Amino acid sequence: MTGPFDLTEGGIQLTVGADEQGVLRSVPTLLQSGDDAGGRLDYSPHPDDPAADAEYRELIGDDLTRLRREDRDSFHEFVAGEPGSPETLEAFMRVIGEARLVLADRLGIEDDGWEAEAELQSDPELALLGWLGYLQDAAVGVLSELL
Amino acid sequence: MTVAPDQVDVPDVDEHDATARPWQVVVWNDPVNLMSYVVWVFRKLFGHPETEATRLMLQVHHEGRAIVSSGPLEKAELDCHRLHHHGLWATLEKT
Repeated sequence: MTGPFDLTEGGIQLTVGADEQGVLRSVPTLLQSGDDAGGRLDYSPHPDDPAADAEYRELIGDDLTRLRREDRDSFHEFVAGEPGSPETLEAFMRVIGEARLVLADRLGIEDDGWEAEAELQSDPELALLGWLGYLQDAAVGVLSELL
Repeated sequence: MTVAPDQVDVPDVDEHDATARPWQVVVWNDPVNLMSYVVWVFRKLFGHPETEATRLMLQVHHEGRAIVSSGPLEKAELDCHRLHHHGLWATLEKT
């Protein structure tokens, strides 16, 4: 067993408890609010060149939206208890990352070093941000072994 | 050193011509993404060994930015797109 993940013959299994599973089920709702995390989910590759940026967006189209939708589909299945592949865990990790960006924006986090202050607070969104970070770090640990 | 001329002929080059000059993909520091996650993304997307991926991550963290790949515009834009899919703040600039 590796933290919140269990590596079985059938694949990678999420092993969190029922309460934590419920919290994770709410993560896509957090992301469906339309919140772009203060632009952190819609970065511009050409921030100083609107024409180049428009060309890029025409080229990419809605591919990022499609990829994120696929990630959330994988996330749903994984959180529901389905064993997943490494690609499933990657999708899970990206969704967690998106949620952390949204939470951080809501909390007004703009600079490094916020974690030390966060330990002194009991804000539920800060607690969620920290716990999702724990899950993401554990997923990185599993996936790094597979690179 | 030399003195800049008063007037120069500027070649008629398309600003976005992928063959004109290589482009660099720049990743910027953000206070949210985990260091371990950023290292993993650099290894996964660009095939860097862990030491190089860690060096780049630390450069982003301490200096605010790092160039993580370069090439023609189409490749650089694809790399940028993949970084955005992974939640990293990436932009493009000409070399």
